[in-house]
Amino acid sequence: MDRALVVWVGAALALVFLMAMPLAWLTVMSVSSEAGTTLGHYRYVFTDPALAKSLWNTVVLAFWVGLVSIAIGAPLAWLTARTDVPGQGLIRGLVLASFVTPPFLGAFAWEMLAGPNAGLLNKVWRGVTGSDHPLVNIYTMPGLIFVVAIYTFPYVYIMIANTLALIASDLEDAASILGAGRLTVARTITLPMVLPAIVSGFILSVLQALALFGSPAILALPAGFHTITTQVWSFFHFPPKIEAAAAISMPLLGATAVLLWLQKRLLGRRGYAAVGGKGGTRRRIALGAWRVPALLACLAVMACAIFLPYGILAKAAFSRAWAQPVGWDNLTLANFTFTFFEYGATRAAIVNTLELGVITASVGAVLVAVLAYVTNRRLVVGHQIVAFLAFAPVVIPGIVLAVALFIAYTRPPFVLYGTLAILFIAYLTKEMPVGYGQSDATFRGIPPDLEDAGRILGAGRLRVLRDITAPLAKSGIIAAWCFIFIGVIRELSASIILFTPNTKVMSVVIFDLKEEGQFGAIAVLGLVMLALTFVTVAIVQRALGRDVLGARE
Amino acid sequence: MSAVRLKGLTLRYGGVDVAAVDNLSLEIGDGELLALLGPSGCGKTTTLRLVAGFLDPEAGEIWVGDRCLSAPGNVVPPERRRMAMIFQSYALWPHLTVAQNVGYGLRFKRDLARADREKRIAEMLRVVQLAGYEARYPGELSGGQQQRVAVARALVVEPEILLLDEPLSNLDANLREEMRFEIRRLHEAFGITTLYVTHDQAEAMVISDRIAVLQAGRVAQVGTPDALFERPRTRFVAEFIGKTNVVDGVAAAPDVVEHGGVRLTVAGARFTPGAGVALSVRPHQIDLVEPPGAPAPNVFAATVRRSSFLGDSLDYEVTITGSDLVLRVVGPATRRLAPGQVVGLRIDPSACVPLDGA
Ligand SMILES: Nc1ncnc2c1ncn2[C@@H]1O[C@H](COP(=O)(O)OP(=O)(O)OP(=O)(O)O)[C@@H](O)[C@H]1O
Ligand SMILES: [Mg+2]
Repeated sequence: MDRALVVWVGAALALVFLMAMPLAWLTVMSVSSEAGTTLGHYRYVFTDPALAKSLWNTVVLAFWVGLVSIAIGAPLAWLTARTDVPGQGLIRGLVLASFVTPPFLGAFAWEMLAGPNAGLLNKVWRGVTGSDHPLVNIYTMPGLIFVVAIYTFPYVYIMIANTLALIASDLEDAASILGAGRLTVARTITLPMVLPAIVSGFILSVLQALALFGSPAILALPAGFHTITTQVWSFFHFPPKIEAAAAISMPLLGATAVLLWLQKRLLGRRGYAAVGGKGGTRRRIALGAWRVPALLACLAVMACAIFLPYGILAKAAFSRAWAQPVGWDNLTLANFTFTFFEYGATRAAIVNTLELGVITASVGAVLVAVLAYVTNRRLVVGHQIVAFLAFAPVVIPGIVLAVALFIAYTRPPFVLYGTLAILFIAYLTKEMPVGYGQSDATFRGIPPDLEDAGRILGAGRLRVLRDITAPLAKSGIIAAWCFIFIGVIRELSASIILFTPNTKVMSVVIFDLKEEGQFGAIAVLGLVMLALTFVTVAIVQRALGRDVLGARE
Repeated sequence: MSAVRLKGLTLRYGGVDVAAVDNLSLEIGDGELLALLGPSGCGKTTTLRLVAGFLDPEAGEIWVGDRCLSAPGNVVPPERRRMAMIFQSYALWPHLTVAQNVGYGLRFKRDLARADREKRIAEMLRVVQLAGYEARYPGELSGGQQQRVAVARALVVEPEILLLDEPLSNLDANLREEMRFEIRRLHEAFGITTLYVTHDQAEAMVISDRIAVLQAGRVAQVGTPDALFERPRTRFVAEFIGKTNVVDGVAAAPDVVEHGGVRLTVAGARFTPGAGVALSVRPHQIDLVEPPGAPAPNVFAATVRRSSFLGDSLDYEVTITGSDLVLRVVGPATRRLAPGQVVGLRIDPSACVPLDGA
């Protein structure tokens, strides 16, 4: 009883501080004015032509990102999960790289690659063809969709590849022996079984695109259009219109909640876990003459997501002028000295980022481990609700969370604005679902029998926790730590609202540098961020002993 | 006519030197239920999948009646073999309901009217005692119910040939026993030519008309359960089917085998004197008698080393006096012998079965 009470009080307090109070303030703010309660802000948001246009742009962007992500992710998943395409490890590695690349870095890189005037690809194009028109202009809606989708398709890939890996060949064989030809099997058995994964992947991609701030800010604003997230951000410019920001956040919050609910509904009653029996094996389809073309197609996608962007970032980092050709006279380390020693904000930002990353990841990893243990071992009544709460922040896009926290913590009794604490709360809330998902899987993988076997031999609950559970859960908890850490160091959409001059983080500094046109320094900081990310990913891979993209047996 | 003939089937998995199925020939009579029995990894599943057409043999032919299903360069795909299969994993489609699962194969019978189709599904679900479960998804059924859906799905299409791959291996002991009789009953009702893969010899004995014992991709012996039990041809078969004593010895006369001073007369044998011979003697065919007063053919004095009470019988381990030969013997529960006690053993010459490959 008392044990349950402690957990409950803790969970309730966390809920109030992390979500309930901020969201309540957000709602209140969206309907308040000097003259009392009003729906005026909503009327303004939905009827003002410019704002209505930004809502519509967001819908267009999200929808197309979803479709393009499927167009890229589904074939890639099928190729690696079900065929003998060569270089599977490489392809999965590159998908993972695209998954962890901060999308705003990709957007910067593509600005340098495909900006209409100075963009490298366009310069090469003009040089080769003599044309004076650019080949592509990245400052357009299709350009934005492309740049977002190449970093979002991994969501579709993961969903489909993991589903395909679960569908035993038996299920297809059972249909063909009853008389179904190849196409009929694909249409009536395989496709319906992966369809939920495809739709789930679509929804996850749409959610990413909805919540994204960096890429639209980098590519849409020069193109002259807004999305909801950039609009929220501009409401914070002088003179701030916090009420309007709160009001325009609501449709974003609502859309996210509805989409997540839809995704949950999708599976319905049909359990997609393997049914009965010893699991069958999976055969791979021989591509024959198509093996090499298929690999090349995969690599072409990866050129867009990884090779070209990383290449141009590296080039910009080591060049005097990023748009000039590579050569000895253009080679320099000046960007590094500038970034680390001359530009005022950088070092503090790196320190802030690492500090926040380590603290959030450590507090978060412990918190999700406790929550996952409590819910998996059913230690308290209503453990399902604890699990639900741990996942709940998923519905709050980063920028909406930031607006809510801004409103809640710029006023008494808790004035946290201007401190790292408010960023800590934002990050912890935002990363909680990911960390919880990882921890939950970890504890689900440790059968209670293992603990009971220790108990029956005379060890107490705590002793068992120390001797058996902790060593078994260690690698899973390390992985949760790393996931949270990666999420924090790349975070932009909440930070951009919550930072103050003393509490800048790396992503914000990168964004500032853009205003000043310092591409060399952006590239340097981008590379630092990527290096940190990949080191962390490598730690996860080691801890889990498998690749991060998911269960493959 | 749907007798199945397999002629010299061979299959090697990619990159593996040893053949999983090695020049395997077998005939299954029309309407017969033949069990493929063998230890794990002997090639049962592979053989079944060759028959189904999921694997293409490197060499050999598969005939059903006078229809050639598979010969080098001419392989009929699974969907046109008019077979049905029950998978070890059941392979129930999780996105289809019970009725949709069962009705799937009927979609490909063009001449069947919709109403007839529904009637057949309903009838089949009644036969497997799943009426009322039509709208459930497989994930909402128990293991035994899932298994019956798999059976119904295979039988409803009235296949020429039915293939089963260890369909009972995931069930608990009671249910397994029940389903054995169920499958046998359905076989008798429908009379479908059936190839039944199992590694459980008790299951094979109960269920099948004939058994083919497989060893390392080859057929070791084919025969009725009785014949395999009474007259195993090799040590492998003798030991795999039921418990047995294998006595390794040397032929002392055309019908006598000697092992360390113990001479066993074998009925109807014609050994070359001096040759090595192995005999199989089933424990229950050794009679426990009074210790012999004078030497007599096939009667020995022995000492009980260990006894285990099995409820309806006792299982003894005895050493024959004056030799190192240890035999397992089954005795009646009415008379219990204690370890150390001396008894007599009588082994009927007809109970000694010579094995190939001593
Ligand atoms: N896909 C495969 N690739 C390579 N070797 C295989 C493959 N499948 C089976 N084998 C090998 O072929 C041999 C026969 O396998 P098979 O699956 O037919 O055995 P089985 O008799 O069905 O065994 P079990 O009772 O365990 O199901 C085994 O040695 C196995 O290791
Ligand atoms: Mg098998």
